[in-house]
Amino acid sequence: MADLLVALAKLLLFPGFAFLFACAMLFAWIDRLVIARLQGRVGPPWFQPLADWIKLMAKEDILPTGTNGWVCAALPVLSLAAVLTASIYIPVGGWIAHAFEGDLIVVLFLLSLPPLAYFLGGWATGGVYSVIGGNRSLLQYFSYEVPFLMALCSPAILSGSWSIAEIAARQSETIWGALVQPLGFILALVGLIGKLKRAPFDIPKAKSEIVAGPLTEFSGRKLALWHLSIEVKTVVGIFLLVNAFLGGSGVSGLLPAPITFAIKSLLVLLILSVASVLYARLRIDQLANLGWRVLAPLALLQIAATVWIGAT
Amino acid sequence: MSTRITIPIGPQHPLLKEPLSFMITVEGERVVDSALRLGYVHRGIERLCQTKTYVQNLHLFERVCGICSHVHTTAYCQGVEALLGLEVPLRGLYLRTLLCELERVHSHLLWLGVLGENIGFQTIFMYAWRDREIALDIMEELSGGRVTHSGNVIGGVRIDVGDAQFSSIVSRLNDLEQRVEKLLGVIQHERTLRVRTQGIGYLSPEEIRRYCVVGPVARASGVDVDLRRDCKYAAYGRLHVNVALAHEGDVWARTLVRAREAIESLRLCRQLLVGLPEGPTRVRAPRRVPPGEVVSRAEAPRGELLYYIRSDGSDKPARVKIRTPTLTSLITVHDQLEGVETADVSVVLSGIDLCIACVDR
Amino acid sequence: MLRLRSIVYLLPDLVRTLFTRRSTVRYPFGPLELPPYFRGRVVVDAELCRGCGACVRDCPSTGLRLRHDGHGGFRLLHYPDRCANCGQCEASCRTGAIRLVGAYVAPTHAREELVETLVKGSGELKKRGTSQAHPST
Repeated sequence: MADLLVALAKLLLFPGFAFLFACAMLFAWIDRLVIARLQGRVGPPWFQPLADWIKLMAKEDILPTGTNGWVCAALPVLSLAAVLTASIYIPVGGWIAHAFEGDLIVVLFLLSLPPLAYFLGGWATGGVYSVIGGNRSLLQYFSYEVPFLMALCSPAILSGSWSIAEIAARQSETIWGALVQPLGFILALVGLIGKLKRAPFDIPKAKSEIVAGPLTEFSGRKLALWHLSIEVKTVVGIFLLVNAFLGGSGVSGLLPAPITFAIKSLLVLLILSVASVLYARLRIDQLANLGWRVLAPLALLQIAATVWIGAT
Repeated sequence: MSTRITIPIGPQHPLLKEPLSFMITVEGERVVDSALRLGYVHRGIERLCQTKTYVQNLHLFERVCGICSHVHTTAYCQGVEALLGLEVPLRGLYLRTLLCELERVHSHLLWLGVLGENIGFQTIFMYAWRDREIALDIMEELSGGRVTHSGNVIGGVRIDVGDAQFSSIVSRLNDLEQRVEKLLGVIQHERTLRVRTQGIGYLSPEEIRRYCVVGPVARASGVDVDLRRDCKYAAYGRLHVNVALAHEGDVWARTLVRAREAIESLRLCRQLLVGLPEGPTRVRAPRRVPPGEVVSRAEAPRGELLYYIRSDGSDKPARVKIRTPTLTSLITVHDQLEGVETADVSVVLSGIDLCIACVDR
Repeated sequence: MLRLRSIVYLLPDLVRTLFTRRSTVRYPFGPLELPPYFRGRVVVDAELCRGCGACVRDCPSTGLRLRHDGHGGFRLLHYPDRCANCGQCEASCRTGAIRLVGAYVAPTHAREELVETLVKGSGELKKRGTSQAHPST
């Protein structure tokens, strides 16, 4: 019984739903603030993402006629559930809900469910903008996913383990993965930008071309859940990268583990925010070109280099 | 599987600032056809102006377009002054030209921001509009309004520059010129902007001449037309205007042309302020205009603006016809959209600098 | 070098922007400054106004009205809801009596507040000037 309560607490409170919700709101605020300050603006107050979410939850929820209400209601829940499940296996500041050998693969699989749900959301609501956005999101998925997966394999190969907690622990003892495999780190960051559909890879939801892409017809609670799943995915993706490349919470001796973890996460968030301010949005065929002609060969190169380092 | 989808761009669309209806037919990600529909902001200004006096019409024509409001009143006042046989004093002409050039700067910076926003480069939008505030503040200091200046009256201008304002305006113009030079550097060197705008929406010089396109769109394809140098209206007879030309003919060339024009306008503003002659700024104009007809042209930020005014001897005009420059560019969009990707539609529509309020009147 | 820089061309400008003044204000939690030359409220100097009606005739939006009371006095009425703050009245006035000052016209719920009496001339005032009074449009 006590085990059940502890497990529930880990799932619901820390490092589970409540903690991730708070982190999602915090990271969304920091992201918007950094982007605003880099563009010369003041930026939103700290409660803005929370206020937006609450407002969306309270709004009217309508769908076009002819759409399947159950499917459209299930898709954002599926997306959010996949992301929250993936967070179980990612250590946060040293604490982890559960870990086993091979959970990196499980996490990567779970993190590839939201793009599928996004695409299906576009097709389920059917409108011109949604369908085109859905097509683009699938094409984008194929462009960044392969380099992303291969880039995340490199720390696993180097550490000799497929468990995220193991990788983080190994790296915090020896040397950060980002220093040994800088190429892999950069590729993982680029892949993460594509996964989160942030600028410059926000092609499926390009506001000036297809209004809002697959989410055009969603409103109210469904849209609130979509936005929440995107924000939680940002947090989970950043935590994954920190554990895989920056040595997790590390034993630095100077600062306690949660603080180092927080600093590293904010560093990755800062890189993501700066990247979204620096570039124009690419076209989908330019992204496909980039993904298959530049990123995938580089990822292969990174794996080859890792194997060679491991052999010698 | 080649199914054709029709994407409606407008009348409501995040891409457009004013309502316009474009039905784009795409096959996969390629555009195969487009259909244009105008008239969503038609306000009947040309009919309305026949019921108001010449003085009242000045403010009506200022509100044809918000971005190029001053050049509309310039063209109108020039025409009515020609009918009345008035000669505007030189100081008035210089101040009128100063506002024209400041408006060109603000319009090009506005357009650069809109282009940035439409290709997903929000930073350029924020930077260009932040720098545009300097030009708007100068115009507000001179005339009291940021976009509708009401600077012109029939017979001259209503505004004046004092000695106290002179040095602060010149220093702000220098500051703005540095910022626009930085933006020009971004346009020339920044990779993603070039990748998105180069090669899109090509118009050859023959097509330009066939559709009678005017303005920066024509100059970007190598067709050298600029009313400021060719017609020498207002105070342009005393200024030397360096016309910005490019030969690539695509959206990137148009961006370069507009940025260079903005820098040239700032240089002209400085020259006008430094050489401002003494004297009155206006002459009193009679209310009744003798019968006659006149064609008055001015170089708006988007190209050649044409006013045809016919008077019948009363204090109300008999007919005023306006030909705005955006109309000529809109006709070419169908040709420009042949075979482009869906994502480039926003680039093409931004490249011609839409001002639908001008087109619909 | 420029080719390499072109990949992160904007980065120095971004960093520089962090240390410059913000271009937005957190209105309404922060103050909003109104520039001094702003074309706002219409005010009339009662000493200079002759009741000639040039401003009434030239107003593009019929925002001004001149009412004569039959005993040589007049009232100049102004309708802020029709006024476009264009400044044509200021440009048409021959004595410089009417001008626009840099103050807002506050929104209101009451219809009566949207009619302002700008100047109330008496009989003596009219005798000073010439009788160019035109009936309102």
